[in-house]
Amino acid sequence: MAHVRRSRPAADTLGRRRALSVPITAGPLVRSLTERLGEDVEHLWTDEDTVEFQIDATRVIDVMTVLRDDPELAFFMLADAAGVDYGPTEHLEVVYHLYSWKHPAWLRVRARVNRADPRIASVTRLWEGAMFHEREMYDMMGIIFVGNRDLRRIYMSPDYRSFPQRKDFRLPDDAADSPAAGVNPLERPETWDLARFRDAPGVRTPALEAEDRATTAGELDGGGA
Amino acid sequence: MAVGPRRPRRSRTAEAPAPATGIATTDAPLVAATSQVPIVIPDAAANDELLLPFAMDDHPQGGFHGMLEVIPTKADYILDLIRANSLWPLLSGLSCCAIEMMSTATSMNDMDRFGMFPFRASPRQADVLIVAGTLTTKMAGPLVRLWEQMPEPKWCVAMGTCTTSGGRFKRSYSVVQGVDRVMPVDVYVPGCPPRPEGLIYGMMKLHELVKQRRGEWRTYVDRGPQRIRWEGDVR
Amino acid sequence: MTTVDPDIRIPDPIELDAAEEARLRAAAGMMPSPAGPEYSGFEMVGIPDRPPQTEREREMYTLNEGEMLINLGPQHPSTHGVLRLVAKVRGEVIVDMDLVLGYLHRGIEKLSEYATYTAVLTYVDPMDYLSTMHNEHAPAIAFEKLYDIKAPPRAEYIRALVVELNRVFSHDLMMGFLALDMGGLTPILYSFIERDEVVELLSAISGQRMLFNFFRVGGVNWDVSDEFISRLSTWRSKVDKLIEMNEWMISENEIFTGRTKGLGVLSAERAISLGLTGPNLRASGVPFDVRKAHPYSIYHELEFDVITQQAGDSYARYMQRVAEIKQSIHLIDQIVDKMPHGPVQAQVPGIIRPKPGRRAYGAVESPRGLYSVYALSDGGPNPYRFRMRDPSFISLQAMPVMMPGLLLADTMAVISSLDPVMGGVDK
Repeated sequence: MAHVRRSRPAADTLGRRRALSVPITAGPLVRSLTERLGEDVEHLWTDEDTVEFQIDATRVIDVMTVLRDDPELAFFMLADAAGVDYGPTEHLEVVYHLYSWKHPAWLRVRARVNRADPRIASVTRLWEGAMFHEREMYDMMGIIFVGNRDLRRIYMSPDYRSFPQRKDFRLPDDAADSPAAGVNPLERPETWDLARFRDAPGVRTPALEAEDRATTAGELDGGGA
Repeated sequence: MAVGPRRPRRSRTAEAPAPATGIATTDAPLVAATSQVPIVIPDAAANDELLLPFAMDDHPQGGFHGMLEVIPTKADYILDLIRANSLWPLLSGLSCCAIEMMSTATSMNDMDRFGMFPFRASPRQADVLIVAGTLTTKMAGPLVRLWEQMPEPKWCVAMGTCTTSGGRFKRSYSVVQGVDRVMPVDVYVPGCPPRPEGLIYGMMKLHELVKQRRGEWRTYVDRGPQRIRWEGDVR
Repeated sequence: MTTVDPDIRIPDPIELDAAEEARLRAAAGMMPSPAGPEYSGFEMVGIPDRPPQTEREREMYTLNEGEMLINLGPQHPSTHGVLRLVAKVRGEVIVDMDLVLGYLHRGIEKLSEYATYTAVLTYVDPMDYLSTMHNEHAPAIAFEKLYDIKAPPRAEYIRALVVELNRVFSHDLMMGFLALDMGGLTPILYSFIERDEVVELLSAISGQRMLFNFFRVGGVNWDVSDEFISRLSTWRSKVDKLIEMNEWMISENEIFTGRTKGLGVLSAERAISLGLTGPNLRASGVPFDVRKAHPYSIYHELEFDVITQQAGDSYARYMQRVAEIKQSIHLIDQIVDKMPHGPVQAQVPGIIRPKPGRRAYGAVESPRGLYSVYALSDGGPNPYRFRMRDPSFISLQAMPVMMPGLLLADTMAVISSLDPVMGGVDK
């Protein structure tokens, strides 16, 4: 307890990050990855504790299967899966973070998704736990994961028709001015009027609109509208 | 109520008890010196039928079981006093403030001192709704339903800045900007989260409120329209 | 030991003959029962009916003969906040379970894109509100990588000290809540005594009682104060006894062991596949601890082992927490002994603008598992994208896996042993 005392700043200990907290050698990992997945992966960045690769979004299942099952790679854990929006004129991106016992670095795998038709294969067959990650990305970003058996909204209510974490969803000072035509109508039966959302100027994709037409056709058109 | 034959009515004013000697014996009960003047209960003659089963016939002074001898007040005041000292909160926590609310209820900051310990799990048995934590638009419906299930009279305490105004999440797309948009609030306790002492202070303010507003339900009906506007507000 | 007569068999209503049921229905003036499975939608649980959106939802909300839906929450004392569970039951046995989240979704990730890097550290505070220090630790690590700056050694030690203190009271509350969900009121009182002491201790160093807001990019807000030191030594002298007393009340209790041992079992492979981390994963026998697997802060300088349990049931998850409390106290001793002198805050400008296009990933071992942050910079004062991976959000997925076959009353014990915090689940 005697060492815990107030002390004055010493200027010489301040400074830029010089020593790596986790000294790693990313070379073997990069080499073995490019050996196994030569054409599929593109090495982008090696940080002090992160190795970053870009992959083709159509090959995500193949790449992830190799990463998980190859005994030398053995990335057994899906640490994180996140969606990133690069703006209305750019693309979406799905970012996976993986961990392996054999390599003391986080592996970051980035996959671009077309914004007009945001589809990518689901990895729930490899990791069951990707389910909530993908549902969250669908809810917040509108990315559709093909092969996910339970791709419905997870945070917002089922009748919500916008994707809040896209960049063209502006955060207003008052939620009533939101481009999503207001927020969740409080889960009250009398406010479950789907027609209210039909003309909402939210973020829509052709694929989503087709799905909406299929699901809500009976209620909107047949319901005496 | 007694159904049997009517008991002989005991005269309370005719003969005064014997003057107290000041010496207590085993066969003669001790009678205080002040009881030399007979006390007359005004309603006793009028409501004799109702009070008869509780009469203490063998008591030298007369009177009734379980009753104060003099009631110089109104029933409303007594009821408010009773309510103020046994406010039972609903066991409903939304987020962070709920942990501080539990801390207020447990040993270190004992809210039981003010008659507030039994957190009721059912809204039918609760008097106070402490909205502890951020109210989101998805949760607003269930919370209003809870509030409507609570019997009158009832009070609402908004705990924390999220419930008073939206707090740090005021700009969010999914947060109700203050719980007073969906239900009437009696006491606001600011803080993020408020310390347990803060919540106890708010509860003592609520005690004052309960004692001041007699006949709370009438007040509640007066401000009824305030709470049915919630739907348009939040949208 | 009571003996059960094998001849006596209580008839299960599920197994009633269909003809008998039709006869009863006709006698009661009811419609004949539907022939096949019937999609019930949300009608049974108080929400309007609508067509199923996914394959899984159709499977969950389609009721076979003898099944019914039971709704728990979002306001239920035992669901640890505003979680809502929909259980499909046959009699009292759970067949399937669905989780409905989002009742506390506050949009922290979106709000963080509108806040400066320092302000983001205040936004993450109320996320997992029982491990506030950990919530700030991961963004601090990520932003320091982003800005390419390093916190001074003393700041790293103070950080490790406060996060271990936070872990102690978080696990201690888990012990109390788990016992409370089985009807034992006393342990939660002891847990809150312990929790209040640690929280007051941490408020002596940070100035705020629950949402501490103590971490800064490149250091911590304050150096340790005299009040903190005196409180810490007082707390340290009696914490062992408090923990022991709470453990003595719970661990050997016959009702407690009967309701936790052998319930909610997860194998190691399944737990990894489900994305469980932290004590929940280690209780299944996987020695994954971010403090060892990918050391951050000063954990490579401390001596400790990764504790694991083998059973993988609710009791193992409880015992794992108890062991980790003691481990954290052991770590606190080491940190206090090794704490160096020096500054607690590196020199950073008031508004931080990292280089555009940089990405950083910061991960810490929170009391509930791997808590990580992925931040992206576009050169401005705000993060372009700020992503948080909360462990309790992911570990809740184990509920539909563990629950089938158990009784409805076991839901409380199992969910409480996972120790979710809804502020983190819903962000």
